[in-house]
Amino acid sequence: MTEFWVSLLVTVIKVLVVLGVFLGVGAYLTWFERKLAGHIQARLGPKLVGPFGLLQPLADGLKLLTKESIVPAGADRVVYYLAVILALVPALMLFAVIPFGPSFKLFGVEVKPIVADVNIAVLLVFAFGSLLVYGTIFSGWASNSKYAFIGSLRKAAVIIGYEVVLGFSVLGVILLAGTMSTTGIVQAQIERGVWFIVYQPVAFVLYLFCMLAESGRVPFDIQEAEAELVTGYNVEYGGMRFGVFPLAEWYLNVMALSAIAVVLFLGGWSGPRIFGPLSPYLWFLIKMFGLVFFVLWLHWTLPRFQAKDITEIGWKVMLPLAVLNVVITAFVYYFV
Amino acid sequence: MNEYLGILIFFVIALGVGFVFTVANSILGPRTKEKMEDYPYECGVPLYDPEARGTFKQGYYLLGLLLILFDIEVAFLFPWAVVFKDIGIYGLIEAVLFIAILFLGFVYAWKKGALKWQI
Repeated sequence: MTEFWVSLLVTVIKVLVVLGVFLGVGAYLTWFERKLAGHIQARLGPKLVGPFGLLQPLADGLKLLTKESIVPAGADRVVYYLAVILALVPALMLFAVIPFGPSFKLFGVEVKPIVADVNIAVLLVFAFGSLLVYGTIFSGWASNSKYAFIGSLRKAAVIIGYEVVLGFSVLGVILLAGTMSTTGIVQAQIERGVWFIVYQPVAFVLYLFCMLAESGRVPFDIQEAEAELVTGYNVEYGGMRFGVFPLAEWYLNVMALSAIAVVLFLGGWSGPRIFGPLSPYLWFLIKMFGLVFFVLWLHWTLPRFQAKDITEIGWKVMLPLAVLNVVITAFVYYFV
Repeated sequence: MNEYLGILIFFVIALGVGFVFTVANSILGPRTKEKMEDYPYECGVPLYDPEARGTFKQGYYLLGLLLILFDIEVAFLFPWAVVFKDIGIYGLIEAVLFIAILFLGFVYAWKKGALKWQI
């Protein structure tokens, strides 16, 4: 019985650490993104609050928390509140299945640095990814504003189009690894000594596109489209309720999907042991934040696609490519 | 079973965080009610149409239908990919036939113009 309580305690600690770290890092990514955007556009970015503007996220958070709670007239109140929770919870839940490193022993208890090492981890990622659509749809529907409504429809069209491509692009990796568990996939890559990006380069590129589309980043951010929709589906939200949407979509989602890309294609925590005993964890974080940086960099470099281009590229180019990739992978893997 | 417990705990705590973020402004924010503060945003002009949830482009509806077709097919293919090495040539041919039939549906939708965004 004590074993059960110990494992329960370990799990709760892991959950709190993951939540604390990634909500905090998500908040600080806002500072990093603004600084990066500033330097890309030859300005300084935030610099007044604290040294190098480092206290800016705290100031923003305090400001968001102390705003008046306003619900627009004609809004569907229950759905309006539910949308906030449905936007945040699935984005956080993606972190439940990310393995940050190999298991280690602490006070005689074996600790796996993953909240839930289940054998259907990749399927769970898709389940939570699909649930994210509801946060968007609900917020657009409940707000009773044309901007929010159009923005949410656009975002839903993008997400559902690219989710299918995402599923097919990941199938190739699951074929090679023979498991859906995230730790299993990393182990398969370590055993072969090859990252799956070598066997599945097409799938990796497709995954990157889908990652941008799912998290509403440039060039797939038609649902925000500041010039026409004034940030779209979250325009009628205020205070922290507004803050949740960019936090979940732009930061938590990007981090979680980057981490899953690292697990699936970039060998997870594998890498030369040059940082001593901490090197697997550091390698994982380096790869993950390298991808996050890549996404932020694209955001401030590229223009935006039209809605027509996004849906047509997704369905007519990427989906056939992804299906072809799966079929070819299956044949090659079986006969070679 | 313990691993799924982890997901449950994570879910409950994440729900708590979401709830806190939802109600925080009602508790911490000022309560100075003003007459027009909850008026829906439309560039500062009086609303042309007070009900925003009206008609929308039917292309979204078609894409939703296509999603149901393909997303469920992907869900069927996941277990196949896991046991791919164990079921041999039979599994390979069956799955390729399955994908071919699925692709036929896709070609049909394409030819019918369901993927064409601007009509």
